[in-house]
Amino acid sequence: MKCGKWRRAIGLIAAASLICSGFAGCSKGGAGSSENDAQPAGDQAAGRFLEEELDTGVKFKDIYDVRRQEDGSLRIVGMEEDAGDPGVWESTDAGVTWKRLYNLPTLVQDGAIGWWNDAAVSPGGQIVGVRIEMASDGSSARSGLYLVDREGKAEKMPFELPGEEDGGKKASAGDAKQQESGGNDIMNLQFPGNDWVVVQDRTGTVYQINVSDGSVKHTYGLNSYMSAFPLYVVGNTLIAQGNEQVLCYDLLTGEQRSSEEILNQVYSENGPFSAVDTLDGGESIYALSGDGLYRYKFGGSVMEHIIDGSVNTLGAPAFFPIALAMVDEQNLLVAANDINASSGTGVCVMKYTYAADTPAKPDKELKLYSLYDSAAIRQCISRFQKERSDVCINFQPALSEDNGVTVSDALKTLTTEIMVGNGPDVLILDGMPVEAYIEKGVLKELGALQIEGGSYFDNILNAYSGAEGQRYALPARFKIPMIQAGSKYFSPGEDFNAFMERKDTMVNMLPNEVVEKFWYVCGASWQKEDKTLDESKVAEFLTKLKNAYGEYDANVENNRISLVTTDRQEGTEIVSDIDFSMGNMNLAFGKCNTNFGLYKEMDYGMHKAINEKLEDGNMDLMPGQASHVFVPALVLGVSSKGRQPEIAEEFVKYLFSQEAQKIKQFGGFPVEKESFCEMIDGHQYEGKDSTYSITVGGEIFKYYKAPTPQEEITKLTELVESLTTPSLQDDVIKEVVVEQGEKVLKGEQSPEEGAAAIMRKVNIYLAE
Amino acid sequence: MRALFSRKRKNQKHNKKKNMRGFLWILPSFLGVMVFYLLPYADVVRRSFLGAVDNRFVGIENYKTVLGNTAFLLAVKNTLLFTLLCIPVLIMAALFCAVTLYKSKYGGIIKSAFLMPMALPAVSVALVWRLLFHSQGLLNHWLDGMGIAGNDWMNTGSAFWVLFLSYIWKNLGYDIVLWMAGLAGISTNIYEAARVDGAGERQCFFYITLPNLKSSLYTITVLSFLNSFKVFREAYLVAGDYPHESIYMMQHLFNNWFRAFSFDKMAAAAVLESVVLLALILLLQKAWDS
Repeated sequence: MKCGKWRRAIGLIAAASLICSGFAGCSKGGAGSSENDAQPAGDQAAGRFLEEELDTGVKFKDIYDVRRQEDGSLRIVGMEEDAGDPGVWESTDAGVTWKRLYNLPTLVQDGAIGWWNDAAVSPGGQIVGVRIEMASDGSSARSGLYLVDREGKAEKMPFELPGEEDGGKKASAGDAKQQESGGNDIMNLQFPGNDWVVVQDRTGTVYQINVSDGSVKHTYGLNSYMSAFPLYVVGNTLIAQGNEQVLCYDLLTGEQRSSEEILNQVYSENGPFSAVDTLDGGESIYALSGDGLYRYKFGGSVMEHIIDGSVNTLGAPAFFPIALAMVDEQNLLVAANDINASSGTGVCVMKYTYAADTPAKPDKELKLYSLYDSAAIRQCISRFQKERSDVCINFQPALSEDNGVTVSDALKTLTTEIMVGNGPDVLILDGMPVEAYIEKGVLKELGALQIEGGSYFDNILNAYSGAEGQRYALPARFKIPMIQAGSKYFSPGEDFNAFMERKDTMVNMLPNEVVEKFWYVCGASWQKEDKTLDESKVAEFLTKLKNAYGEYDANVENNRISLVTTDRQEGTEIVSDIDFSMGNMNLAFGKCNTNFGLYKEMDYGMHKAINEKLEDGNMDLMPGQASHVFVPALVLGVSSKGRQPEIAEEFVKYLFSQEAQKIKQFGGFPVEKESFCEMIDGHQYEGKDSTYSITVGGEIFKYYKAPTPQEEITKLTELVESLTTPSLQDDVIKEVVVEQGEKVLKGEQSPEEGAAAIMRKVNIYLAE
Repeated sequence: MRALFSRKRKNQKHNKKKNMRGFLWILPSFLGVMVFYLLPYADVVRRSFLGAVDNRFVGIENYKTVLGNTAFLLAVKNTLLFTLLCIPVLIMAALFCAVTLYKSKYGGIIKSAFLMPMALPAVSVALVWRLLFHSQGLLNHWLDGMGIAGNDWMNTGSAFWVLFLSYIWKNLGYDIVLWMAGLAGISTNIYEAARVDGAGERQCFFYITLPNLKSSLYTITVLSFLNSFKVFREAYLVAGDYPHESIYMMQHLFNNWFRAFSFDKMAAAAVLESVVLLALILLLQKAWDS
């Protein structure tokens, strides 16, 4: 009995301790909590780098280098728009004003052709430039190193790359862009001190060259793969990258240093560093990476993340840093290529200044949700955050190659998040059941939102407007289903029936792509008033498509030209298989007789060249069961349960501003008319000889990138204004149609069976 | 007399204390049921009278919508058909196997083999299904080899029978174990006495085994019924959100409604389903008690 009491007591104590430990486990701080955690919410850490785009007063079309000088001034060596030779500019007030010092000299004599290809400036103000010089008969070209002193006087350095003496580069005078290099070439150039310069050749070998006599002090045997990535010199350390690692060499001894694990770690997480500089003679480095600026002291155990690229331009998809110049610990300049730079030349200089009073992290968070990643939206986020430094936009696309999440799973997760009050503030509704969301009250009515800053294509903007003018979802971009073909296969204005009666219009096309492209121009006509699908129209669609497609050829993949393009964001496709541009080459080289798909960027030169090649070639709206169809893209909605409704509306408004509408990132045509015209007018090719040639199987196709003639701009604008029918935006129905339609085109089932299968599945979906 | 009253009061006090102790023992479990089942269920009932996201009161509108929804009616029909066909077949097949195994020398080992399908993860089972039943899968390949025309098993009416067989295959072992536990509880003396009186195998089965397994039958029926709802996992993994209409079950509908924010319809349908289920279980219990 006594023993039983003891047992009971021990049991009770054990149970009590379990419960207590459970509660302890749920407590917020835990043993590892820092002092900062105990601080009240109001005591937020302060201090952050703020960004501004510098107005240098110069329209740079290229910048080769930016460097802080020994006297504290800054120098830029770059190429001004419409200038023949690069120039050198100096700023003595940390980048506020710039003064041109001199141009690099034109050194070519005896009618030969030559140009400055690259240049680097030393802390002492000297410049080492790489010149490409072609023989007067245009038979060969070679690169040479020139030293330019502080006054602009150039002198050739007595140094030649191995391989160049064997004839140098073979080149064609008439087509400089297409020159093929038969010899060696300088791939990377650094001028860290005043006495020696570091160059890397095509084989990857790095030469440390004495400036005064051109003698090579050390060579570093890197492989050719590493020559594709920039190398840097800070103090006496050479930093080379590639092959998933960062290698450091001592320039005094020429020996490789021990591996810097932290650099390797950041490299493997964020990719190669795009610009590097130092403030202490190379003891530590400042390095730009895909997610911002890092500081690292050699031999240290941490790499300090100084600027978070996700809250400014540094992390924007179209921002490619060229050079980093640390003015001091609190000021820095970044020169970069950025297609969306306000200069309009694709080159910008950004200044970052440390603001001690600004909160270390933006105190307001806006959650942005999208199924798919989008370079365009990332670019807009970056711009918006530049204006609103107190706002951090948390953009996490639901689907990626890494997570393997399906659309259905992603939408279920979104439902959960919204219902628990942790959902997004702004939704990009592409691929989502927009109408169901409107019906359920998930989206806020945006009728009161005043979209300003331009004139818009109202027919596109009101794609989701209700009968009484309510607007819950607004497309910021759009795509147009277009077709291009010779007169034998297509006539402008032709209807669906006439086009489907033609033979050989879909030769060498993949069944799933054909069905998906025609889904956009046909699906919009299938829904009856009660929202169910009209089976007769679905059957007609499949029957006619099958007749036009003909017999399926299992080798179709091998008969086509495949083209895959991705941007620097991993896995973010900027061109999709159903895009119009994906079919250009197949049409140009006669692999296909027609090209149709979603048109989202104008390439006038290409279309003109193809039309000329086709003889009687034409472009027009794709024929379909529905007419004048457009595909809304970047469809924006504001969550009715979001936590930041004001900022959400502000962000949506921003996305319709001219600044955001003019951003070019392959997301579709802008709905704002001026931005639309600017996107299609090809102004960037004005006064340039932009000749391109593509060779496939020995056949050459040449085209010229030129400004779009006004009549073509007007024609496309009028065509856009005539669009009246938004395509059916429902991925569930689309998936079923493409799946069954592919089987029909492959001959695995009859069109009637396909239509019946579509109706069975879709009717359940619609009945839900 | 006073002593009698005193004893009675003492007994009442003792019973009260005993009842209280019993209540305390079930209290943690009851709290769990309360927090994880009863309160959420009460919330579901509440939501069944409200709008989906805006939470405005809509009366019985959601119930009307659900009862007029063709997808709901299809799902109810399929679920009922599946349950009514599967459970009797499963119970009888498991009983037959259990009786046979109980008499066999190697019954224990074979019983474990029957349990193997339960140990397999649903994802692995779904992958094997895909390999087997795809229109260009292994089964069609084998049939083709034998000169028999194949079928698109998962996209025709055959999908229902594939699901049916899968359910039987997966749950047979579990039911066998339950039946064998029931069989083990029947005293051998009864059989010996019956045999002395001249009863044969059939008489023993019908007059001794079956009546003694009555209590097990109730448990097995309820568990099989509940397990029949889990077959959705395989159907979902193989055919996704929108499988062939013959295997479109209640869970598909709930799943899709959740994705589309149709919490109003979900709540009403869940209440209807739970009422039907509760009624069925109570009826079953009543039938057994009588």
